Amino acid sequence: MVFFTNACKKNGSGNGAATTPLEFKIPDGFPEPVYKFEGNPPTQEGFELGKKLFYDGKLSKDGNFPCASCHQQFAGFATLDHDLSHGFNNQFTTRNAPGLYNLVWHDQLHWDGGIANLEVQPLAPITAPNEMAEDLTNVIEKLKQDADYPRMFNAAFGSDEINSQKMLLALAQFMGMMTSADSKYDRMKRGEATFNQQEQAGYEIFKQKCTSCHAEPLFTDFSYRNTGIPLNQTIKDYGRLRITNRAEDSLKFKVPSLRNVFLSYPYGHDGRFPSIGSMLDHYNAGVQQSTTLDPLLRNGISIDFNERYYLVQFLGTLTDSTFINDKRFAP
Amino acid sequence: MKHSLIMSLTSFKRLFFFLPLFAVIASCQKNVNHDLGGPEHNLTINFKAQVDTIPLEYGKTYHNFFNEPYTVSAFKFYIHGIHFINTETEAIFEVAKDRYDLVDFADSASSSIKIGVLPGKYNRIAFTVGVDSARNVSGAQTGALDPTKGMFWTWNTGYIMAKLEGNSPVASTPNNAFEYHIGGFRTGENVVEKITLLFPYTSLVDLQPNKTSDLYITTNLSAWFHNPHDIRISENPVSMTPGPLAVQIAENYRKMFSVAQILNEP
Repeated sequence: MVFFTNACKKNGSGNGAATTPLEFKIPDGFPEPVYKFEGNPPTQEGFELGKKLFYDGKLSKDGNFPCASCHQQFAGFATLDHDLSHGFNNQFTTRNAPGLYNLVWHDQLHWDGGIANLEVQPLAPITAPNEMAEDLTNVIEKLKQDADYPRMFNAAFGSDEINSQKMLLALAQFMGMMTSADSKYDRMKRGEATFNQQEQAGYEIFKQKCTSCHAEPLFTDFSYRNTGIPLNQTIKDYGRLRITNRAEDSLKFKVPSLRNVFLSYPYGHDGRFPSIGSMLDHYNAGVQQSTTLDPLLRNGISIDFNERYYLVQFLGTLTDSTFINDKRFAP
Repeated sequence: MKHSLIMSLTSFKRLFFFLPLFAVIASCQKNVNHDLGGPEHNLTINFKAQVDTIPLEYGKTYHNFFNEPYTVSAFKFYIHGIHFINTETEAIFEVAKDRYDLVDFADSASSSIKIGVLPGKYNRIAFTVGVDSARNVSGAQTGALDPTKGMFWTWNTGYIMAKLEGNSPVASTPNNAFEYHIGGFRTGENVVEKITLLFPYTSLVDLQPNKTSDLYITTNLSAWFHNPHDIRISENPVSMTPGPLAVQIAENYRKMFSVAQILNEP
């Protein structure tokens, strides 16, 4: 029933086109995803269309800012070595670009959770004046004029009609298929690898001091928390408050996943922490008290010099080389 | 006799087996999910924008309840969940739930909604102004809900249920613009308004088979500014986020509709 209803709603794939279904696999130990591709069953053709869109500057006003300009595969689809991403006309954005992987497990997207469904997420960067800065109608018009897109939309959705819904469904297929679950940590869990003593020691400390927020296996509990990072006076970003208008959400940001954390420096919602060490220093001694500070951080998290070393060794096991080298996601 | 009873039971079971499937297919059809025994569209709801008793013209100066002068450049809203009701026979006809219409007074075609209604007599119309919460969070949409319509917030995702834009010398904004983008579907900031309208005295929708009816609904935008909440352009020239101001404006504009006239083809 659900499948039929949604298939109709989305005018999804099929309609006579011969498409090749793609299987979405839930890795062992992972929960059920939130985004279930309902009405948008992944196909090879939809995925390839989504990939072309993801890497195409046409989605931006001046052609210079495809999605991939801030979401680089070698950085776990975050932006390497940029605190704030850059957008149209030499503008800064106000936040650090999050890595794109395991997105189907997020109930909401963005640091402030303002996006309620993976499918509509791309609308935010496409239309934001300091990001891709383009008008959605113009994007669709450019795709219609393109030599390849009408054929690719036809292959994916059984009609060469191009509209925003089909563009977003294809992007959701491409991004939704980005599963990162083959790090050394994952292989250890599957019994295919063993941690060395330092990694194991770090893992024990991690389970003791970090998993209440960075919960396994996704390394986030998807909650919004004030981790005692002082307000950036030049950006004045109060995080989730902007979405809910509730005072108790002031300075709360989504708990980021720590998968591929070695690849995605700098850290924090505005990228103010240049290294993992400086991030751990914050928890150890930099937590600023405020009314909305997370209760778990009232006293910070004491991390001594040895623990810090072991934690870093453990966090290194979260790098998924298979994912960042996966040719399916490469341009 | 016995044989035929078994046969009919078997057919009966078959019918039940297929029934859910038919229901699903029918619910996919955008416009009509009933056999109306006639043309697909037999009733037109015509929305007419007015400022009190005067037909709205874009760019012309009007005055609100607080005597603030203003002009209008955009006026649009979503309609869905249309029901025709007869409170005497308790007949209710529901237009397909997944139908959404954007009424945009800049586009005369969109302010006349053509629907298929089961012939009969009705003495009420009910509808929702806005987009229900489920559809606000269910991903990429098309048709009236396509985000290219400019009625979708991209940074705090959700639909703008109703939009009124214009200019007023009392608005201390760039270009003296006032902009009311009214949205919000979460608890505490929900602006989805359910409206039930009575018909003028002695009037009915009396829709005969293979005939048409026309319903004229006056949409008085003066309602946005007054009763129960005072919305002065000078104090509140902009509402661009879900929240208390948007809720107040929606509680005002829910009174903007009234049925002016019904024409039934004899």
